[in-house]
Amino acid sequence: MPEAREPRTAAEPPGSGTPAPTKLSIEKLNVSFGSVTALSDVSLDIADGEFVCILGASGCGKSTLFNVVSGLLKATSGKIVLDGHDVSNRPGQVGYMLQKDLMLPWRTVLGNITLAASLTRGATAQDRAEAAELASRYGLGDFLNHYPHALSGGMRQRVAMMRTIAAGRQVMLLDEPFGALDAQTRLGMQQWLLQLWRDLKRTILFVTHDVDEAIYLADRIVVMTPRPGRIAEILTVDLPRPRPLEVLTTDTFVGLKRQIMQHLYH
Amino acid sequence: MNTRFGAAAGPFLIWVVAMVLILVAWQVLVWVSGLPPYVIPPPALAFQTLFDNWPRLSVLTGQTLYETAIGYVLGALIGFLLALAMGQIRVVQRLVMPALIISQAVPIVAIAAPLVIIFGFGITPKLIIVAWIVFFPVVVNVLDGLASVDRDMLNLARLMGGGGLRTFAIVKLPACIGPLFSGLKIGATYAVTGAVIGEWTASSKQGLGTYLLTANAQMNTAGVYAAMLLLTVIGVGSFLLVFGLEVLMTPWRSRSTAPAWAQWNPPRTTS
Repeated sequence: MPEAREPRTAAEPPGSGTPAPTKLSIEKLNVSFGSVTALSDVSLDIADGEFVCILGASGCGKSTLFNVVSGLLKATSGKIVLDGHDVSNRPGQVGYMLQKDLMLPWRTVLGNITLAASLTRGATAQDRAEAAELASRYGLGDFLNHYPHALSGGMRQRVAMMRTIAAGRQVMLLDEPFGALDAQTRLGMQQWLLQLWRDLKRTILFVTHDVDEAIYLADRIVVMTPRPGRIAEILTVDLPRPRPLEVLTTDTFVGLKRQIMQHLYH
Repeated sequence: MNTRFGAAAGPFLIWVVAMVLILVAWQVLVWVSGLPPYVIPPPALAFQTLFDNWPRLSVLTGQTLYETAIGYVLGALIGFLLALAMGQIRVVQRLVMPALIISQAVPIVAIAAPLVIIFGFGITPKLIIVAWIVFFPVVVNVLDGLASVDRDMLNLARLMGGGGLRTFAIVKLPACIGPLFSGLKIGATYAVTGAVIGEWTASSKQGLGTYLLTANAQMNTAGVYAAMLLLTVIGVGSFLLVFGLEVLMTPWRSRSTAPAWAQWNPPRTTS
């Protein structure tokens, strides 16, 4: 099978001919819990507007990596650089979203989306109007005054995503956000996320253990292996954007999948 | 909410029918058995006593209701604040929890006498006894509510830049409202018992509890039943009041969309 290397076209951040500047640098990260090494010498540069998927079996340190990047966890050594500034151990510099939707049940959809504003300075009428506009643009317009319990799991994850976006951070860490959804809903969510990303030009770091999901979404895929958690391989996904569902069966896609599977289950 | 009250109308009707059936059966049984009214008064006699003595009984009901209500609010408030303090400061929880459990293990009747010796025949011991009964379910439930807040939710709040106070007000405090009402509902039915025990021990002012004692001593069994009925009405009424308040204050539990006052509507502009 020929592994066709198409030129990177739409994988580049839109509107830039030259490579985008580095947005986030993970530099020589080591994390140990006692005698257990969770992360070993992890380094990664992520370009502005890039979509990077981190792929690995459970225990490979994906979540540990996210906790360090977000500032929740102190690394044993190494640092995190955002826009040229060292942000190690400074929580709140990047957006963060988990598999759990973490909705506040007593707040409406709109109230949940404006949570960051409420937590920092109190949500203003303008915050609410902007959040409503954003949510309406991405299919939540009819649910602004709904309570989360009245929504499906997929809709709740959309709200959680809107909440992450409304928090305004340029870099968003998404930790298996669609992991709890059924396959059909998940595919819809992936397309929805790609549309969001294209429109809003955020930088996304996306953890998943689903190989198809990683290839379909990412510009680059970081394959991690466990014990100790480290980067085994970084692959560039040469699939043009926007990506219709048909790319899931192209030779490039299948070739990449084979390559990744070899790393994961060698 | 209309639908919720509408749905409650069916069970309510059944409840009324059941009550009437019990009363009728009771009345018939007393007739058939020929037992004297001081052993088991027919319900009609109990109601008769209630209506004949209403001017006096209403005053007594007012007194007991007063003790119950003030003691209840006091107990709920203390319980709520104590639970918040315990939830926020681990050391306080470790220190206070054993004392709380012991406080509930001591028979309330045994506490009543020393309280009267300390505080006299006035209203104070009654309030303390009612509050004593009410605060415990409130503490336990509110603590559960605080503990139920997802650790990841707190991390998320931190990452969003939420300070301690705002995170507490926005993420933690609302998580206690549901559990708080669970505790308040338990307390609502027990509170009146506390007031009666307080009155039984010693009282300078007459209430339904003291009336119960007097009526019992005079073999005025119908009067005992009349007082019992009034005490039950206070208990059930308190429960319903708290329940109604709960429905109003926790709209997300019974509705799929926010009530009108909490809805967001787009600002009116021409586009």
